[in-house]
Amino acid sequence: MFGFHYRIERSAMGLVGFIIVVASIGGLIEIAPLFTIDETVETAADMRVYTPLEVAGRNIYIREGCYACHSQMIRTLRDEVDRYGPYSLAVESSYDHPQLWGSKRTGPDLARLGNKYSDAWHVTHLNNPRDLVPESKMPAYRWLLRDALRTDDLSDHLAALRAVGVPYSDEQIANAVQDAYGQANPDSPEAAGTAERYGEATNLRVFDGLPTKLTDMDALVAYLQVLGSLTDAAVRTETAGIE
Amino acid sequence: MVADFTRDERVSALIVLGGLILAGLFMAIAGRNDLLGVHGWMIAAAGLWGFFAMVRGFGLPEPPATRLAEYYDAPTRVGLILTLLWGIVGMGAGFWVAALLAWPDMTFDVAWLSFGRLRPVHTSGVIFGFGGNALIATSFHVLQRTTRARLPDAISPWFVLLGYNLFCVIAASGYLMGLTQSKEYAEPEWYADIWLVVVWVVYFAIYMRTLARRKEPHIYVANWYYMAFILVVAILHIVNNLAVPVSFGSAKSYSLFAGVQDAMTQWWYGHNAVAFFLTAGFLGMMYYYLPKRAGRPIFSYRMSIVSFWGITFMYMWAGSHHLHYTALPHWVQTLGMAFSVVLLVPSWASAGNALLTLNGAWHKVRDDAVLRFMALAAIFYGITTFEGSFMAIRAVNSLSHYTDWTIGHVHAGALGWVAMITFGALYSLVPTMFKRERIYSQKLVELHFWLALTGTLVYVFAMWNSGVIQGLMWRTYDETGTLSYSFIDSLVAMHPYYIARALGGLLFLLGTLTALYNVIMTIRMPAIGAHDPQGDLPAEPALQAGE
Amino acid sequence: MPFDHETIVGFAKSFGLFYLVALSVICLAWTYWPTNKKGFEEAAKMPVLEEEDRPWH
Repeated sequence: MFGFHYRIERSAMGLVGFIIVVASIGGLIEIAPLFTIDETVETAADMRVYTPLEVAGRNIYIREGCYACHSQMIRTLRDEVDRYGPYSLAVESSYDHPQLWGSKRTGPDLARLGNKYSDAWHVTHLNNPRDLVPESKMPAYRWLLRDALRTDDLSDHLAALRAVGVPYSDEQIANAVQDAYGQANPDSPEAAGTAERYGEATNLRVFDGLPTKLTDMDALVAYLQVLGSLTDAAVRTETAGIE
Repeated sequence: MVADFTRDERVSALIVLGGLILAGLFMAIAGRNDLLGVHGWMIAAAGLWGFFAMVRGFGLPEPPATRLAEYYDAPTRVGLILTLLWGIVGMGAGFWVAALLAWPDMTFDVAWLSFGRLRPVHTSGVIFGFGGNALIATSFHVLQRTTRARLPDAISPWFVLLGYNLFCVIAASGYLMGLTQSKEYAEPEWYADIWLVVVWVVYFAIYMRTLARRKEPHIYVANWYYMAFILVVAILHIVNNLAVPVSFGSAKSYSLFAGVQDAMTQWWYGHNAVAFFLTAGFLGMMYYYLPKRAGRPIFSYRMSIVSFWGITFMYMWAGSHHLHYTALPHWVQTLGMAFSVVLLVPSWASAGNALLTLNGAWHKVRDDAVLRFMALAAIFYGITTFEGSFMAIRAVNSLSHYTDWTIGHVHAGALGWVAMITFGALYSLVPTMFKRERIYSQKLVELHFWLALTGTLVYVFAMWNSGVIQGLMWRTYDETGTLSYSFIDSLVAMHPYYIARALGGLLFLLGTLTALYNVIMTIRMPAIGAHDPQGDLPAEPALQAGE
Repeated sequence: MPFDHETIVGFAKSFGLFYLVALSVICLAWTYWPTNKKGFEEAAKMPVLEEEDRPWH
């Protein structure tokens, strides 16, 4: 009977195969069912996609490593709901490739940051947090106002996002560059196109306060201002399941 | 290094390096408007440097056949030095980011000096740079000694070691430029990930080819752990990094997964990176170097096998404890919690096995700082795995998650277990690898030990305190039913602990600098019987390696 | 067979348990099987006894 074990022990390939089988099962059982997505993630009919400017802003959020200190996942605990707002639902990050749930709160959770502060507050705060919050530990991101936003490859970004499952239309992909410009320049002719393609609820503002220039700050603030407001699903299910 | 290569290997090396130059140039041209181009030029430069070194040494005489009667340790020697250098980079970056949390204005308006960009340099620097190089260097040593077979050839271990370090450099420099996938401990972008897969396949092949030529029928258990490390890290790395690049001219990619599936995949990866990179690999190290240094066989070999399968099976389930109370389905959270608790059994079996091995050799632990490093590592391994199982319980996790407690837990493991076992193995390896009689200064090893222990304790206690305080402040209500503290109140309360933490990290970093100095001075001592190293070998040629 | 969420979760929960138990039994039986004892004890001495720092040839 134990000839089998001797073979495992003695043949290196047997050991390899056994390690792979033993180690794979846990991941398969836990992860595979999550891809039967209909039941894992609630549906939200009003869920909208990020605009090109918000995508660019999200990429700046990733570039600067904001996720290392800020979570975007309000847990189903009473104090978190009281502090940050309705707990996060899976559907809210279903277009987030990758998710930015985070693992550490050196700073507060940002899942419901959108529309909590004015654009001007964000610009001042990002430029030097200690101008507004003297005790803050956050770095001063002064370069965000200085650096012009790169937009020339935004169509490629949207196309790549569509390839991984975000429902961007051909039109949205083709017009990504001007839509980004239009969103931060509400008085420009491009703004109408942005509103048409992404809905009237889209924030069309001069986010960084500098009408002449599209900066990294425009994109990042545009992104921060939609956090938690891509869908109303969380507000609708607010009270269920808090522990 | 070139002198160790046969003519065929020199030709192969030129082809590989030529390919690397071409790949670099392709990236540089395709990514000329993108940061990808910078990495393209760096890769091309690395390839070019290797190519010229190879051309310059091409005419050297071929290595003598007598080399086959010796183990091939040159990659291990270089790997040990790289381990220490990356240790200083990683721990230095760690100290700096710790200081940034106490004094945030030290960013000096320089983007790449900001916390968010330096933090992955710290984590990747210590995990992949320091830990990875230590694993590669020691695995080559242990593999040869326990199979009594020489590495299959000279070129592939160098490919693995240098290729892996190229990956580390690409990763770290990318973070500074703002290139990151944002998935913790899997930050490098798609092209670096692909390169690592290539390196890893060769690494695995070295293991299999050496094992295939072993004379000893049994595979020593340390190799099981090293193999689990290689195999499972490959699986984790490939799955978690599946992504679609924006274009072949862009460094940016978008993960194939989103939202809850991505979170589960990420923490399945993240937790098992801890399990198979930082635990299995280093347990392999422990199961060889600790018995060797103590001069006693492992207390229970059979317990080490049971622990092996326990760890290999159960760790894979535990990742979801990183996502308690989140939007992850409840049953997955419960499953993760249950397995995390049961995991304590094989973990403590390993720690106990190590400590029981030292029974009867405690006088050696007292006198020998090198063995003491390893004994302390086993103790910290026991403490950390207990703490880990404890923190995976949902109710505890509701307090500890998102706080500095997690950071304290991680560093109890990283400083107390991973780094201590590495230093123990490193100090016992350096004299034999460099053929020196002894380490340059036993007193400095002693100093290093106490710096490392003090640093770890200061760090871990600071973070335990701050974490628990933070967690309690966030959930405290006053009598009117409103939250007692604003977030900024909790941040202010952290300030003294952040200073203490930076101090603890600094002590640990100083210890590592001591180690580097000690190792350099050891290498500068005269070799044992300083003469031609081939001089005292048997005259008859050995079997051709690889046959 | 429909691959809906409940089915897969059900399979994961039931099969996962059997798999865990079976694996533990196999692993423990093999490791502590009396005839395997000698081999393991010899293997344990490998790092300590190895004197000659040279490959077998």
